[in-house]
Amino acid sequence: MLTRRSLLQLGGSGFGYLAFAALAHQQAAQARDPKRPLAPQASHFPAKAKRVIFLCMEGGPSHVDTLDYKPALAANDGEPAPGARGFRPARLMGSHFAFERRGASGLWISELFPELARHADKLCLLNGMHTDRPNHAQAYLQMHCGIFQFPRPSLGAWLLYGLGTDNENLPGFITINPPSRNGGAANYAASFLPAVYQGTRIQQRSGSETVSNLTNRRRSRDAQRVQLDFAQELNRASAAALGGSPEIEGLISSYELAFRMQGEMPSLLDLGNETAATRRLYGIEEQERGGNRFSGGFGSSGGTTSFGRQCLLARRLVEAGVRFVEVTSAGWDHHRNLDESLRTSCSAVDRPIAGLLTDLHQRDMLKDTLVLWGGEFGRSPYAQGDGRDHNAKGFSMWMAGGGVKAGVTHGKTDDFGYKAIEGRVHMHDWHATILHLLGLDHEQLTYRYAGREMRLTDVKGNVIKAIIA
Amino acid sequence: MCNHSQSVLVVLTWLTPCLSIAAADDNNADGLAFFEKRIRPVLVSECYSCHSTEQNEIEGGLALDSRAGMRRGGDRGAAVVPGNVRQSLLVQAMRHADDDLQMPPDKKLPAEVIEDFEKWIAMGAPDPRDGAAVVEDAYRVDPEAARNHWAFQLPQQPAVPDVERADWPQSDVDRFVLAALESQTLRPVGDADPRTLLRRLTFDLIGLPPSGEQVEAFAGDRPTETLAEAIDRLLNSPHFGEKWARHWLDVARYAESTGKTVNFYYPQAWRYRDYVIAAFNADKPYDEFIREQLAGDLMHTDDPNLAAERLIATGFLALGPKTLNERSGLKYELDVVDEQIDVTSQAFLGITVACARCHDHKFDPIPQTDYYALAGIFRSTETHYGTVRYINAQRATRLIRLPAEAHLAAGTARLGEREREQIERQIDRVRQSIRAGGDGLQRFFAMGRIALLQARLDAYTDDGEPKRLAMGVTDKPQQAGFGRRFNVRPRRFGDYTFDGMRFIGDSPVFVRGEHDQPSSQLVPRGTLEILTAEPLQISDTSSGRLELANWIASRRNPLTARVMVNRIWLQLFGSGLVRTTDDFGLAGRPPTHPELLDHLALRFMNDGWSIKRLVRYLVTSRTYRLATTSRSDALEADPTNEYLWRMQPRRLDAECLRDAMLAVSATLETTPPVGSAVAGAGEGPVSSFSRRSALRAVNDPQNAHRSIYLPVIRDNLPEALGLFDAADPSLIATSREQTTVPSQGLFLLNNGFVMRAADALANELLAIQPSTDRINAAFVRCYSRPPTSRERSAAEVFLQAYDRQQAAENASAARRQREVWSAFCQALFASADFQYRK
Repeated sequence: MLTRRSLLQLGGSGFGYLAFAALAHQQAAQARDPKRPLAPQASHFPAKAKRVIFLCMEGGPSHVDTLDYKPALAANDGEPAPGARGFRPARLMGSHFAFERRGASGLWISELFPELARHADKLCLLNGMHTDRPNHAQAYLQMHCGIFQFPRPSLGAWLLYGLGTDNENLPGFITINPPSRNGGAANYAASFLPAVYQGTRIQQRSGSETVSNLTNRRRSRDAQRVQLDFAQELNRASAAALGGSPEIEGLISSYELAFRMQGEMPSLLDLGNETAATRRLYGIEEQERGGNRFSGGFGSSGGTTSFGRQCLLARRLVEAGVRFVEVTSAGWDHHRNLDESLRTSCSAVDRPIAGLLTDLHQRDMLKDTLVLWGGEFGRSPYAQGDGRDHNAKGFSMWMAGGGVKAGVTHGKTDDFGYKAIEGRVHMHDWHATILHLLGLDHEQLTYRYAGREMRLTDVKGNVIKAIIA
Repeated sequence: MCNHSQSVLVVLTWLTPCLSIAAADDNNADGLAFFEKRIRPVLVSECYSCHSTEQNEIEGGLALDSRAGMRRGGDRGAAVVPGNVRQSLLVQAMRHADDDLQMPPDKKLPAEVIEDFEKWIAMGAPDPRDGAAVVEDAYRVDPEAARNHWAFQLPQQPAVPDVERADWPQSDVDRFVLAALESQTLRPVGDADPRTLLRRLTFDLIGLPPSGEQVEAFAGDRPTETLAEAIDRLLNSPHFGEKWARHWLDVARYAESTGKTVNFYYPQAWRYRDYVIAAFNADKPYDEFIREQLAGDLMHTDDPNLAAERLIATGFLALGPKTLNERSGLKYELDVVDEQIDVTSQAFLGITVACARCHDHKFDPIPQTDYYALAGIFRSTETHYGTVRYINAQRATRLIRLPAEAHLAAGTARLGEREREQIERQIDRVRQSIRAGGDGLQRFFAMGRIALLQARLDAYTDDGEPKRLAMGVTDKPQQAGFGRRFNVRPRRFGDYTFDGMRFIGDSPVFVRGEHDQPSSQLVPRGTLEILTAEPLQISDTSSGRLELANWIASRRNPLTARVMVNRIWLQLFGSGLVRTTDDFGLAGRPPTHPELLDHLALRFMNDGWSIKRLVRYLVTSRTYRLATTSRSDALEADPTNEYLWRMQPRRLDAECLRDAMLAVSATLETTPPVGSAVAGAGEGPVSSFSRRSALRAVNDPQNAHRSIYLPVIRDNLPEALGLFDAADPSLIATSREQTTVPSQGLFLLNNGFVMRAADALANELLAIQPSTDRINAAFVRCYSRPPTSRERSAAEVFLQAYDRQQAAENASAARRQREVWSAFCQALFASADFQYRK
């Protein structure tokens, strides 16, 4: 690790000073207590958001059917798409779902999100999103790691590296049900950042959520404490024999955290601790009535239980002090049978998300919790059979809470929803803005790797100041 | 991919001392030089991110990336008025004089910088930037200054220094080290005791702990083995290759799948793994090792076994991560070539050339033309990595068929007649379903299914014997004469890259690295100009890989030997002599012991590039034998142990830790497996259900083979390795991080593999009579030494306390004893002295 933190040789004055100032800043940023890599770090400047929940819609949700109202698309339904050529040009397809103005702010939201629509006045719609590639894997990696060409740390890892965490008894970056495709674990990797910043995966299996090696069926907690006391006594002896050792001190404290995690994590994972009313709020159906078939299936199987559990768990985790929690809803790649499959996908997440917003609001946590929603890209205004193709040039995401303007729409696409034309927000800008909302300057949050100062935003990214409250 | 603002600063930090600053006069050349050295870097690093035409929205309508934009100015007026500092808004903004015009915002630049701008405007603001914005305009590195960089000079035989404590050194290594220590008035700590030394040596050389008998023979009351004998025993062990190959596999980003977007298996990758292990065991000269990996296919031999070995070696170039669903064939070829340039330059030369794909290198004297000279070599090369054409993986290639006369392991079982018929029937069924109708999408999926099934059949000969295939590279064909060119190669489906270069030839520069922006001029195939006295002589009939390999594997290359010597030093001493093991360029750190590095590099080459001889030389030094004990005065003066006043204690590598648990519990399977679980899975996506056996094998707690033989599936590292900082196989890793995180603790406290090993060790201990010897035996196995009295009493206290706890939990007496000892062994695994190599 030290090699990557090394100070470059400095020479001369003038620009040498400039270089020194910049490097000294990075040194300060990278210098932290090696025993407590998760300890809270000062942000670069004061900020409202303290933590993030990212509701990730894997596959590319259709913006023109949900959040980006396009009357001109409906009016031109069936017409050849502009620029489409050849014997069988692509044809425009108006949305089959009704849009309405919602809330006092009058945001356009379609009938697919009736519950979310009640929270319109909390949302900041980003209708001018765009990304580099209309391919799932590249776009998915870009959304998480900034670029897709090389393995890079994920957004959550950068945030954890920049801010540490408020509960050192828990990992600071947790991802629930990440997909194995589209880059898989690379989407929550620490890459060249120290491994401690890597996302800890919680997988939903047969209806409940787990962390690996969190429990021991053979040893009771008391027995394990006796065992650990012995191991720690040996460790202290080892440190003493070396005349003191920060490494072994670090080992000793990491065991204690592991032991504490066993204490804290299972109860956090146990949603039975929530009231029935809260569980209903998230759309979690009371299970095991007449067998447990489908009680914990995947989002696409319909029903709100699966995603509701994840959202509720996300709230429990951020409440316990976790810095960044990502929740995944898979299967938004609606090339075919859009009307039915999109409706299914939306209804699986609509109530859980609305429940999450209500719950955070009721707990007065929305003001400092940044909620992010979106997928790796949107979908084409033209039809692909009875579905829509990928569209990277313009799509929608939203933010809510933590320091973001509420009840506003930022950016727009052209008349058909094909290309972002105003208030354009590239994924790099999205990242820069998220870091900014948490008090981090995306140009200052760097880590030295392969001889360069690396950033989440590579060499790009502009903070979208217009949406900051 | 470079961070521009940082990179410019870095360039400046080394350029500044060697510049003579031009006087501020009207002399145009000097004025332009001043602009280049003093003004442009600041504009790039501080201004362009908001004020350039490359941005989506230019702040304040002001673009500073062209002369015209700067003089025209933005919403407020001209930013720069040549000759008139006071009217130049740019300077006002930089001074932060005005409350609502402060640039850069939130940060005032140093006074010297502002003065430079004033000086520049006063001299008429000379500015060469014509026309449209040129954000990525090359910042020219001064070639003369760069040529003086230490790592670009050939190693020189240094004089061995005199030292005050003449009785301490035992080799020249020690004399270099001690001289440096003495120059800092530091003293080395004492020597490690023999038990610690043997444990250190055994882990370092073969990656396993010494047995109790070996410790006794070396460090007992009546030693029967000398240090030299122990070193030779370990160097000659077949486990030496298993340990040292792992370090190379990190560098070679070895893996058995494509990773990235769609992650397909590489079922033949294991042949390269075994090649590397065998090369280290045979002490293959390093220069030969380089040549074989880059150009083994071009090295002539009549020996079919050697020919096969060399073909397998070129797997080095084929193993990289790949984006199989890339839509553009040309882009795909350029990405594969980029990865090959990256791994070649980092692995052998310790510098990063891949930066120069899009622009001249920002730190090092590597112009974009150098990159495309190398790209021509690799674009003239066909890369063979197999995989099938599938739904979102259109980039299939053929594997290399190894010589039939060579003796090669199969890697998988034969395909039985019944199995073949079954697969054929499946294919027929899918074909029929296609004929029966279905829409385009169903057809598409059906075709994919057929491709996977067919790939399975294609892996065997007609009589069911697994084909002997390998990943690797070959030269593309030579362009035939006019009239014959059209029948040279049919563009077959599922074969070769489509839109890339089809024949041996040179590559153009691609502007900004964009595949649809080739420049009209071709760059002759070649290599890095800064390191070559004369250009490589590459004939029209070959890619140039062999010439490139010979140029790297040469005494005339200043980097090759140094980089490898540094890596070997890193493995034995914990840090490289050049601490930035991945960067020998201008942004890297200079060596802590430059003469020692050169001494070792020259010795390495003079010793026939023998790795084993170098390892022997290093481990027989007194420096290697130092204890790990800390001393407060030295720790304060040199906390990171740059001067080597002690041996740096560190945790065992992930592989050593896992292997050690198997070894001390007597469950290690020491016979290497043939092939890999991935070989059995065959070609296809990692995520597919029918190939799950390989994914399951990744974390199989019953697998007792050494860790190097576990399947390496990108983004699916074995938990036992991934948790303990094993290298991410998608990255070229020249050194590993060392983290201490709770997920490691959870693994050691709760994982089934760990508890199985603890049970096995407990059973071994319970067989020992008298029972009072058990604690002693456990410590000797785990720590290679008997317990101290403090440890022994802690152990006794634990055994009783745990037994009481078990009794309180109503465990039966028979079960209690086993549980107590198992818990005891597991606690030892979790302890620092087991996990650390001291």
